[in-house]
Amino acid sequence: MRDRGSFRDPGNRVFDAPDAVYRALSAEAAAEWRAVAATPLARDPRLAATEEVEPAPEGWAAMLRHERVPFVSYPYEWPFSLLKRAALLQLDLLVDALGEGLILKDATPYNVQWDGARPVFIDVGSFERYRDGTAWEGYRQFCQLHLYPLFLAAWKDTPFQPWLRGRLDGIEPAQMRNLLSFRDRFRRGATTHVFLHARLERRYAHRAKEVKSELAKAGFRKELVVANARKLRRLVEGLDWTGSSAAWGDYAQTCTYDDADAARKAEFVRAAVASVAPRLVWDLGCNDGAYSKLAAELGAYVVATDADHHVVDRIAREERERILPLVVDLADPSPSLGWRGAERKSLPERGKPDLSLALALVHHLAITRNIPLAELVDWLAGLEGALVIEFVDREDEMTQRLLAAKRDGLHADYDRATFERLFRARFEIDRSEELAGGRRILYLARPR
Amino acid sequence: MVATVLSYLDPGSGSMILQMIAGGTAAIAVTAKLYWRRVTKFLRIRRSDDDDQ
Repeated sequence: MRDRGSFRDPGNRVFDAPDAVYRALSAEAAAEWRAVAATPLARDPRLAATEEVEPAPEGWAAMLRHERVPFVSYPYEWPFSLLKRAALLQLDLLVDALGEGLILKDATPYNVQWDGARPVFIDVGSFERYRDGTAWEGYRQFCQLHLYPLFLAAWKDTPFQPWLRGRLDGIEPAQMRNLLSFRDRFRRGATTHVFLHARLERRYAHRAKEVKSELAKAGFRKELVVANARKLRRLVEGLDWTGSSAAWGDYAQTCTYDDADAARKAEFVRAAVASVAPRLVWDLGCNDGAYSKLAAELGAYVVATDADHHVVDRIAREERERILPLVVDLADPSPSLGWRGAERKSLPERGKPDLSLALALVHHLAITRNIPLAELVDWLAGLEGALVIEFVDREDEMTQRLLAAKRDGLHADYDRATFERLFRARFEIDRSEELAGGRRILYLARPR
Repeated sequence: MVATVLSYLDPGSGSMILQMIAGGTAAIAVTAKLYWRRVTKFLRIRRSDDDDQ
């Protein structure tokens, strides 16, 4: 099936097959590929494993087969550390490519996917032969989709994810300039990459051809691209975001479980993962990732999601092998985006989980976010896989705290009996266990 | 010649100019390196000439 997110580069067309990803190349793109194939980059472990397959489909010059990543994700779901890692990978590959007489013709973070916390560059079609006298054409894109979002988090403590989701092309130089304060002018990289960039963009608008020839005549050379990339790398390397303290950052320490209950909960989850033996697990509302780690240790690939950027970034910094940490607000999850609403997919469209974990989640969605229990159960059943779910009853301290913020009577039907009635209508319960004196109940269930 | 190469992405004219400016010191370094290489090459030629004698 043709991947509907791959039409922008006319020389490449990507097809999704169950076993792998295939890429058809035009004659021109095939020539570029052959140039890449002659270098060590073709076998570089930072790139998705790629091989040429025969025969090429009708109308195309060559066909490549790529290894598939376990789960596709997008930069508007990545925590700070992942976007930073992706940015560094782009720059490293750019420098290495130039060393081989090649260059990256673009710099979109959509070309980077993850195997756990390890970035994988998936678009070999981005490499082409370097032509003397040319600048890096991906620089502007690098600023818009990597550098400025990282600035936004590091300098303004503002999450970049909504900005990247709101505009797939990212933040323009003039927009970024308008967001900066007087003080920000003195930050490293601000003058060059934001203020000067925005100014030059305005001054040289629509003069691409003229500028290209000027650059070539002025003796623009590969070494300059390398020098710029190295400077950019040092700049990105120096960016950090720790943000204000997380609302749930210390949840594991402050939750209402005592040690014995916490151990029983972990054992319940472990037994559930062992019995389902899932390939793909979604840990919904993963918090500190304790249960993601448990599932990963049992061999699953875990997509760990939480609406809290802080806790997700903390997991990302641990660089786990089989855990992909994503910032996802389940009450406002990633939609289908881009041209015809099909370029970027919603989460379930990218592969449904064999098992979902919804631990200490239901009360937050039902009470704080006003998601009706029936709606929530229906959505979970739609994921089709097995489910470990925790229901935290009204009497629980945490539920009481959440209810206290709401008008009296607004969540009168939030109780165990109602939940179980709705849940049993859509799920077959394999087993359940009461914790914390019956105020918290764990269920392992499968959709009917 | 180079100018006729078309890109599929709009690189932004200002963005290209910026790369020249941002590479300022590197541009100087490249020039310096060029002359340094000429000097060393010159010396090497002399030395090899000496060896031949």
